[in-house]
Amino acid sequence: MAQTRRQTILLLLGFCLAVAATFFFGYRAGRTSRRIRWQNEPIRPWMSVPFIAHVHHTRSEPLFQAIGVPPDPRDRRPIRDIARTEKRPVADLIRNLDKALAEAGQSGQAP
Amino acid sequence: MNDQVLAAVAHYGSPALFVVVAIAALGVPLPVTLLLIVTGSLAAQGAIDIWLAIAVASVGSVLGDQAGYAIGRWGGHALIARFGRLLGGPERIRRLDQKARSWGGAGVFFSRWLVTALGPWINLASGAAEYSWLRFTVWDVLGESFGAALYVSLGLVFSDRVQALGSLLGDLSWSLLGLLAAALLGWKLFFRRPERD
Repeated sequence: MAQTRRQTILLLLGFCLAVAATFFFGYRAGRTSRRIRWQNEPIRPWMSVPFIAHVHHTRSEPLFQAIGVPPDPRDRRPIRDIARTEKRPVADLIRNLDKALAEAGQSGQAP
Repeated sequence: MNDQVLAAVAHYGSPALFVVVAIAALGVPLPVTLLLIVTGSLAAQGAIDIWLAIAVASVGSVLGDQAGYAIGRWGGHALIARFGRLLGGPERIRRLDQKARSWGGAGVFFSRWLVTALGPWINLASGAAEYSWLRFTVWDVLGESFGAALYVSLGLVFSDRVQALGSLLGDLSWSLLGLLAAALLGWKLFFRRPERD
């Protein structure tokens, strides 16, 4: 009897947790789907410069120039690797790239 | 870890993709859905061939799944003998075995691409339950190919929204898993007569 009651309590707890998880992740999915059109993709250390240029609909050359690397659309090194080669912090490169993207956006640069 | 994996695929392409999906199929928590979306975006940029990427992702995942199945098949009984009491004893395990066999095909197929968090466990369980290797492989190949094609294509179409899309699909997958768990537990709780031990 006591075992059955314990089982029921555990099942009830599991059920409540599962329902809570369903709503939590469902809410997050709904929020992301509303923002997906207008929210810009943040720059991450795994991204290459051509990848960032593609995601932000701009040319890669100004971005390469912004971080002081010779422009080469075939250069697919992640920013993290570029930072290591250039002996600069990743955050520093991301800041420069963000600035270059903001300037490209202001000048209405075509992809 | 996630950043390193994504950087490897963005830099080295298909060989890195192959290694990562095979390791993830063994149960190592790696962001495979996001990885496939990023691969689709790379294909949209002309940095990787889309058909090669789909083929490489499918083959890598299937090989990882096969390894999981083999571990379950040849190591599963030893684990059950050791920890079987925690799962409710031999009679309960026998009933779980029967259930696993009855919904095996659909379970294998949908856990490849829809509820991916369950994939590695289903590989082990299928092996341990001695579910037919041929049927497992057929459903596995179908599911992994479909999943790879689906997520790479989504990445191709939404190539400028990879992170948001990855996050959206991840949340939807977890929400679905929660819904399945709630349905299963709710059924046991409210509709099923208590089991006699």
